[in-house]
Amino acid sequence: MNTDPLKKKWANAIQSIADLSKGDPIHVDPLEKRWAYVILAIAGLFVAIIMIDALVHNINPPSHVETIDSARLHLSKEFAEDNLGVQVDDNGNVTVRIVAGRYGFYPKQVTVPSGTPLKFRWVSMDVLHGIHLPMTNMNTMILPGYVAELKTDFPKPGNYPLLCNEYCGMGHDHMWGSITVVAKEHWSAPVKIASKGDSNHE
Amino acid sequence: MSQLSEEERQKIINSSPIGTWVLMLTVSLGMVAAWLFLYYGVFLPRGAIG
Repeated sequence: MNTDPLKKKWANAIQSIADLSKGDPIHVDPLEKRWAYVILAIAGLFVAIIMIDALVHNINPPSHVETIDSARLHLSKEFAEDNLGVQVDDNGNVTVRIVAGRYGFYPKQVTVPSGTPLKFRWVSMDVLHGIHLPMTNMNTMILPGYVAELKTDFPKPGNYPLLCNEYCGMGHDHMWGSITVVAKEHWSAPVKIASKGDSNHE
Repeated sequence: MSQLSEEERQKIINSSPIGTWVLMLTVSLGMVAAWLFLYYGVFLPRGAIG
């Protein structure tokens, strides 16, 4: 078998790499170079807009990390049944707590005001779930053992379906709920009802 | 078969590539406009996530 052409090919390739490392100029067509500058400028513009929004307007991907025992949610103070849904604290901050699991969201439906900063806290009681509200930016995974927290607001009133977008088992396609957004002036904070019986969530 | 004379051919080769510039400008402006629309016209009006 004649290996000379192969050896020659390899020698040329190695020589080319050696030439590159010596700093020999590579010819780039001026038009190609200008096109590359245009692309770099466009990419720079997009990155600059995103950076300004992140640093000035605080628009960032959610990065909250908080652990929780998924098997004992009902015993936790925050995610006990009485505390789920919409709550407003003394400062007027609206927090929505929802538990996902067993092919459902608990509570299945919540009503929130439009144009108001909302803090959503999601937890899973069993396996990996996800949430997606079409026509909004709400979309995150709910990992068992972690609290998925994100802040947003819904500028437009309407009834938004809440869907699980991570395959979680045979009943995954039945796992849905809804979030109703009403105009701020028509919304009133839910009245907290005292729990019946002597439940002990501590 | 090309009907250009050698002189005409050289003139075209040495002249500025107007068609390419127009294409580059159109694609660039289109891409920037589409991105800005999706960011400011769709993403932010739906409520920023944080």
